[in-house]
Amino acid sequence: MRIAEVIGRVTLSRLKEELRGGRFLIALPMPLAALTEAAPGRGEDVIVYDVMGAGPGSLIGLSEGREAANPFGKIKTPVDAYCACLIDQLDI
Amino acid sequence: MQLGRVVGTATATVKHPTFQAQRMLVVQLETSSGGPDAEPILAFDRLGAGRGDVVLVTNDGRALQELLGPTTPGRWSVIGLPDAGLEKGERR
Repeated sequence: MRIAEVIGRVTLSRLKEELRGGRFLIALPMPLAALTEAAPGRGEDVIVYDVMGAGPGSLIGLSEGREAANPFGKIKTPVDAYCACLIDQLDI
Repeated sequence: MQLGRVVGTATATVKHPTFQAQRMLVVQLETSSGGPDAEPILAFDRLGAGRGDVVLVTNDGRALQELLGPTTPGRWSVIGLPDAGLEKGERR
């Protein structure tokens, strides 16, 4: 998981049935300098599946790759980026 | 497996249920020369690593699933704390 900042949302008019119930966020991964010195730099944007209720400005735990689909269990789901937690506090 | 340095801890109230009662560290992975390697990651820790410690982390999601269950979206976990020699700069 990387730490990412939510900057927006994508709304879909049609989507695969397995994905109903979730939302799609636009998030930017946070480099070390962004966490320690509030530097403006960010990584490449990622579209993230979310059921936790993250909104613009939220810091999230961004799970990517194979593990991003684990929460769906045996249901095959085409998700490769998943919002795994909403970060309340970073002690850095 | 890769070496990294613990830069802090993360707290989340809203999180995937498999993260309940787990300790999440913010770890900056390092290259062989000791420089930062990509964005910091969130890694699960049961060994008691603290800020400033060098840790050995694995990105084997299966290893974490053994601890947190098969539906966990987490991937990285701390599997070892190298001896102090590394921290004194032997690696650099």
